[in-house]
Amino acid sequence: MEILKPAIAGTLESSDAQVTVEPGEGGIELALTSSVMNQYGRQIKAAVLETLERLEVTSARVTVVDKGALDCTLKARVECAVFRSCGQSEKNIPWGGAVR
Amino acid sequence: MGETLAAISSKDVRAQRQVDALLEQEGVRRDGNLDYTCGLFDDNWRLVATGSCFGSTIRCLAVSSDRQGEGLLNQIVTHLMAVQAERGNTHLFLYTKPKSAKFFGGLGFYEIARAENSLVFMENRRRGFSDYCAALEKTCREGTSAAIVMNANPFTLGHLHLVERAAAENAAVHLFVLSEEAGPIPFDVRKRLVEAGIAHLPNVVCHDSGPYIISAATFPSYFLKDEDTVIRTHAALDLEVFGKIAPRLNIARRYVGEEKASHVTALYNEIMAARLPELGVECRVIPRLEAEGKPVSASMVRQAIHDRQLEDIRSLVPESTWSYFNSRSAQPVIEAIRRETNVIHY
Repeated sequence: MEILKPAIAGTLESSDAQVTVEPGEGGIELALTSSVMNQYGRQIKAAVLETLERLEVTSARVTVVDKGALDCTLKARVECAVFRSCGQSEKNIPWGGAVR
Repeated sequence: MGETLAAISSKDVRAQRQVDALLEQEGVRRDGNLDYTCGLFDDNWRLVATGSCFGSTIRCLAVSSDRQGEGLLNQIVTHLMAVQAERGNTHLFLYTKPKSAKFFGGLGFYEIARAENSLVFMENRRRGFSDYCAALEKTCREGTSAAIVMNANPFTLGHLHLVERAAAENAAVHLFVLSEEAGPIPFDVRKRLVEAGIAHLPNVVCHDSGPYIISAATFPSYFLKDEDTVIRTHAALDLEVFGKIAPRLNIARRYVGEEKASHVTALYNEIMAARLPELGVECRVIPRLEAEGKPVSASMVRQAIHDRQLEDIRSLVPESTWSYFNSRSAQPVIEAIRRETNVIHY
C-alpha cells in the first residue's frame, strides 16, 4: 500500500501506542519512543516493521510512541494508521487480511 | 467513576473560569492566544486537567495536583494531537517547564531549545530541527556571514538599505523571510518581492524562515498582541533557537533595523542586543533609511495602500515592489489591505 497522506491511530494512554504514518522518501523511516524501550525496544521495532511489510508499505515515515502496548495492540494500531493514510477506511476494510 | 473529556468553547464562561483557576493553581501562565481548549471533568464536573492549542502548538497544559500520576495528561495530549491531525498538522510544537520535559519525552517530543531554564521548547519530530539545519547548511558560504530576519510586509527601500549595508560589510548574507501567513500580503508575494529587490546582490541567500525563526510556534506574540512578559519569554526562546542555527551558516552578525514605531519589534531588538553577544553573534542596529524626513517602514506603505494613496509609496519602495502593486495581480492583495481595520504592527 502506498501512504498518501499523514494518518494517526492509537492513544498515549498506558498499554496503548500512538502510531503516525506519513509519506516517505523511499524506505521506512521509523522513530520509536517507548516506556519499555530497554526491555522490548527490539521486539516492538520488529512487530512494526513486520506489519508494514505484510501491508506492502515500502516508503513511509513512521512514528511510534509506545506506552507498553501488547504486540496485538501494536499491530492493530499500525494497520489502522496505514488504512487511514490511503483512504481504505471508507471502504470495506480487509481487517486481518494481511495482518494476522 | 470516570473522567469526561470535553472541548471548552471560548464562550463557555463557567468552564473557562475553571481553566483559569486550574492553570493558576498549577503555576502555568495562560497564553493570550489560544484557538482550541479542552478539559477532563470528574463526576462532579470539576475540571481536573486541561490543555490547549494554538496553530501547530500544544500549550497551557495542567493537571490538578491531587490527581497527578493517573495518566490524565496523556488523555489530554492524545486528544489535542487528534485535533491537530484533523487540521492537517502532524509536526507539532509545545512549551513546558524544564521539570516536565522528561514526561513529554515519553510522549515522543524532543527538545529543541530552552530559555533561561524557565521554558523548554519541544517538537514531535526526532530529526525535525536537525533536518532543518542540515538543509540550511547546504547553502553555507565561505567567510563571515551575516543574518537578517524580515517580514518584508511588503519589501521597502528601508529593507533594501539594510540588506545592502550587510552585503557590503560581509562575505555573505543569509536573509530569512518570515514564512508565517499573518497578514493581507501572502508569503509567496512577500518572498517574490524580496527576491526581485535583492537580485543585484550576488552574495545574498534568501531563505524561508520556516517554523523555527519568528513563527507562530516560537514567537506567537509577534503576530498577536500579548503582554510584555510574554513577548520577552517568546523573544528569548526565539533567540536560543537562532543561536543554534547561526554556527551552521557561519553567521557572526545579525543586522536589525532600528525600531521606534512597533512595540513588539522594539522589545525584540532590545532583547536581541543583550542576548545575541552571549550566543557569539554580534548585533548591529542600523538606523532607518529616511524619506522626506520620516523613517521608511512597511507599516507606512500598508497605511498608504489602505488609505488609497498608492502614489505615496513610490518614494518608499524599490521599482519591483512599485510595479507589483500597480499590476493586475496585486488587486486582491490591495483589496485585502483596504479591508483591514489596523495595518500598523503593534
